[in-house]
Amino acid sequence: MVNLDDYIPIAGPEVVEQLHRLADRLGPRRVVNINSTRVGGGVAEILSCAIPLLKQLGLEVSWEVIQGDPFFFEITKGLHNALQGYRVPFTDQMFAHYQEVNRENARKFQWEADYVIVHDPQPAPLIEHLRPQARQWIWRCHIDASRPHLPVWRFLREIVRQYDASIFSMSKFAQNLPHPQYLITPSIDPLSAKNIDLAPEDVAAVLDRLEVERDKPLILQVSRFDSFKDPIGVIQAFKLVRRHTPCRLILAGGEATDDPEGPRILAEVQEAASGDPDIHILLLPPDSHRDINALQRAADIIVQKSTREGFGLTVTEAMWKGKPVIGGAVGGIVLQIQDYHTGFLVHSPEGLAFRIRYLLHRPELARRLGGLAREFVRLHFLVTRKLRDYLTLMILRDNPDSRFIEF
Amino acid sequence: MAPLCNLEQPAANPFWFSECFLIPMPMGRAALNLRELLHAVRELGNGVLFYHFFQSRLITNPPEIEYPNEFSAWAATALQDIKLSEKLSSFDPFEYQNLEAVRQAVTDLLEEYLWDLPTVPWARPGLEFHFCQASTIVMRSEISAATLRDFCTGLRQVGLDSIYYHFFESRWRLGTREVDDFSYWLETNFELPDLVAAIRNIDIYFYSLQETRKTLLSLIEGVAEGGGDG
Repeated sequence: MVNLDDYIPIAGPEVVEQLHRLADRLGPRRVVNINSTRVGGGVAEILSCAIPLLKQLGLEVSWEVIQGDPFFFEITKGLHNALQGYRVPFTDQMFAHYQEVNRENARKFQWEADYVIVHDPQPAPLIEHLRPQARQWIWRCHIDASRPHLPVWRFLREIVRQYDASIFSMSKFAQNLPHPQYLITPSIDPLSAKNIDLAPEDVAAVLDRLEVERDKPLILQVSRFDSFKDPIGVIQAFKLVRRHTPCRLILAGGEATDDPEGPRILAEVQEAASGDPDIHILLLPPDSHRDINALQRAADIIVQKSTREGFGLTVTEAMWKGKPVIGGAVGGIVLQIQDYHTGFLVHSPEGLAFRIRYLLHRPELARRLGGLAREFVRLHFLVTRKLRDYLTLMILRDNPDSRFIEF
Repeated sequence: MAPLCNLEQPAANPFWFSECFLIPMPMGRAALNLRELLHAVRELGNGVLFYHFFQSRLITNPPEIEYPNEFSAWAATALQDIKLSEKLSSFDPFEYQNLEAVRQAVTDLLEEYLWDLPTVPWARPGLEFHFCQASTIVMRSEISAATLRDFCTGLRQVGLDSIYYHFFESRWRLGTREVDDFSYWLETNFELPDLVAAIRNIDIYFYSLQETRKTLLSLIEGVAEGGGDG
């Protein structure tokens, strides 16, 4: 099991010591997290990492998972997509079933807590049945809710407004709600398989197995093959670069099984890359964290030419590897990349090609951007910062009428 | 040769490092162009101005600082209006007595700038200005300094939030741009006028918090190693 002290050499002793001081100030508290799955998906990954660390800080933290039938999860998938702006049709029967499954789950929960953190819309209605069992109810929205589908949001808003506070991942996702809204940006775990340091021979072994030669500069994009990640645009950019400079392109990721456009996009990508020995399309299983880590460490330049993005943790991970990163100027990518400091932002395949060429011929600048990018992630986007934010938030919620507390 | 400064000399009053924890609170409001920015600056609460001029220094704390506040950065990168960015970069909120005066001055600046423009500049897509305020906890840490040596040890131990609080935000608290908590303590506990002056000559706008920490340590330790003072 990972120990909090393992983060000291990475984040700095002052950061870990500060977590202990904050936890001491907070005192022993009971925290219940509720979501809809124990494995798979970003939220489960976040909780698996954060809960043992919060326990080491002296908090009594538990993790509850709601159960449901396939129809329930079909509905909640629709809610998720509707929050992201898709025009998902909903019927009264669907809303009623969603409420009913939550009511059934509420009967099983006997805990009492100081704080309940409910993740995403699936378990949100539990508050209507369990309100007295906790002092503070906090809704944690991990979804890009910047433009939710209004009819669905109207329904959800009536539930969410009952909470004492909500947390969003980016300012632009905040909503008009009658309670305080807080911002906690996502983070990466530097000790996870995706991000842990790898020896050069381990990196080489992965590239050998994936049959990627390192005879030319490597350009990498890690993402699902869906239209918002614009893999076709990346191939266009790569072909523009190669008119001037030899290099290889790796597009690595999984299939977008829940995206109706996914198979068409993948076919288009394969068509665009066919017959070109310098383009590697790597369809990797969802648990290929170590392979992705190795590819990122082997790459000379990492790109994320998204046309729509939530926070863009693949960018954070690339920056953490100390690589120069070029990203589309969308979503959370713009919070992470600053032109000429921590990478480059682009708006088109031509822009991407231009910046790739620029960096390929300025290796010193590329190294400098990569170094600053890693430091930026170290300061702002490691899991230790997220723990600090949660501890701070809990102290603040103990004093809900004040926005400034001095001890 | 100037006398060496004694790192072990006791201070009359120990320095207690405070820690400062901020959580941003998004307002759910954005500016897509310069006119919308002007309206928001006029209308939003003082906490929002304080966040974007001061607290964002801790929240965004880039490893290198090019623009001294979020408005000038936005003008340059999102509006790509370098002239406006230059004006906003030179705007110094510490010159004003309170946030209402800061608001009036920024409003005047933006209004006058817009007045002369033939068209309203719009943000690049994806780079809209999102307004925030923050909730804050200030907590006395367990780290204190009774000597300069302790002070250097403390500077290394505390988080960057503490550097922000004592070296940046304190100027607003103390009501003078020139004086920060650190140099005030040095001035009132030791006879080191050159060191105090050197610390007050650091241009806070262009030092990241980690650069500030390093610079402070190098100035203090430099004096002890023979740079001398007085």
